[in-house]
Amino acid sequence: MTLLKRISTLASFCLLASITTFNAIAHERFMVPTHTLLSGDKAQAVTLMASISNDIFHPDRPLGDSDTGADVGDLKNLFKVLQHSVIAPDGSISNNTRWQAFERFSVADVWLKDSGTYRIGLIQPEVPMTTFKKSDGTSGRVFGKNPALPKGATNIVRRTTSSRVETFVSLNSPSTAAVKAIGKGVELAGETHPNDLFVGEEANFQLLFDGKPLTIPTNIKVIKAGTRHRNNRNEVALTANQSGEFTFTPTEAGFYFLAAETSVKVPQPAEFDIKHYSLYLTLEVFPE
Amino acid sequence: MKHLLLLTLVVSTLLVTPFGAAETLDVSVEVPEINANPYHKPYVAVWIETPKRKGVHTLAFWKEQSDWYKDLRQWWRKIGRKKSPNYDAVSGATRKPGIYKLSWDGKFESSKQVIAGEYVLHIEAVREQGSREYLRQRIRLGENQAQHFELQGQTELGKILISIK
Repeated sequence: MTLLKRISTLASFCLLASITTFNAIAHERFMVPTHTLLSGDKAQAVTLMASISNDIFHPDRPLGDSDTGADVGDLKNLFKVLQHSVIAPDGSISNNTRWQAFERFSVADVWLKDSGTYRIGLIQPEVPMTTFKKSDGTSGRVFGKNPALPKGATNIVRRTTSSRVETFVSLNSPSTAAVKAIGKGVELAGETHPNDLFVGEEANFQLLFDGKPLTIPTNIKVIKAGTRHRNNRNEVALTANQSGEFTFTPTEAGFYFLAAETSVKVPQPAEFDIKHYSLYLTLEVFPE
Repeated sequence: MKHLLLLTLVVSTLLVTPFGAAETLDVSVEVPEINANPYHKPYVAVWIETPKRKGVHTLAFWKEQSDWYKDLRQWWRKIGRKKSPNYDAVSGATRKPGIYKLSWDGKFESSKQVIAGEYVLHIEAVREQGSREYLRQRIRLGENQAQHFELQGQTELGKILISIK
């Protein structure tokens, strides 16, 4: 009991420092569709590539699998909990998209039968994770609830991480039902349709958290595709106003990565100290 | 006559003696503070090549996992992957932001000395989830010619001071 109390005091004491250092162990994740705008009278498919990688959008490790893909080691535990979500133009949600992992990326086909916008996602529900400092000063992390920690571990913070990796694809005219927030985690909303982005036009977006305007501090960044072939990463930090609204005016056509990350402190006593929520979007911008 | 002889002696010493006994190349490398989250310490290589791009000597190689050595693209291409010339003695862990002093007396492990002439000093830095920066400076070695250069990095490198004396 005393020990537990001590750990908990220590945890809250170190919370601020830990919040800022937490991201040091996170990698980017994304999915890239072959197309974001399609036209035609018949059903069409898009093929998607998903990966965990810091190179935008060059894959490094797979993301997502329906138990038919490569042996991915520890990633298997993550893939088991990922929801393979597709929201159709009528707002209905299906979770039966088949993803297949290869060594460096995962692949899926999604059929667009109806005209309108589809939201395709790989959703990670809250996964418990504990971070700590080992007695030798290096940091460590373990997944799972109440995990065994190495002897002498300090700075113990009990966390959950959850994320939405999403993109939008429209057949014929873009529609809004699939874009409408389902009310879980960080989601994109706003005046501008995510499938209607053009160079030089200001896009007006809003971030929602559990369906309501996101008001807590959030890191938003935009990175244009192709980091591997340029020396400057050119990460652009965006700031949302108090209602979670932000603007973005693309200067070049291409695929863009948009990440929004936020954290919520959990009132104690509780099972966890802090919960992390992320949104990783792929947006396509067309030339003027 | 005596003077001429002396002069000849001095000149021939300059020409033949590679990297005059007392000459030292000092390089001060600044790893800049970068306000990034997550921040990973950069991989850095500092090395010398001939003007024709043959690797001569590595002054520093700061790294973590071998999977990412390749991202020091120029160093990896010219020296790293062939491990020639060998750089074990100057390899170490990545460094936190700060100013680091490197020094080379022009001697190789074999105790041979570099041949006098023109060289290019290369400084390359790359950071995970960050940028890559690559700076170069032409220098002359082995001629007992004092030189000072100051380079200013823009992203992953700060001030680079090069001094030969």
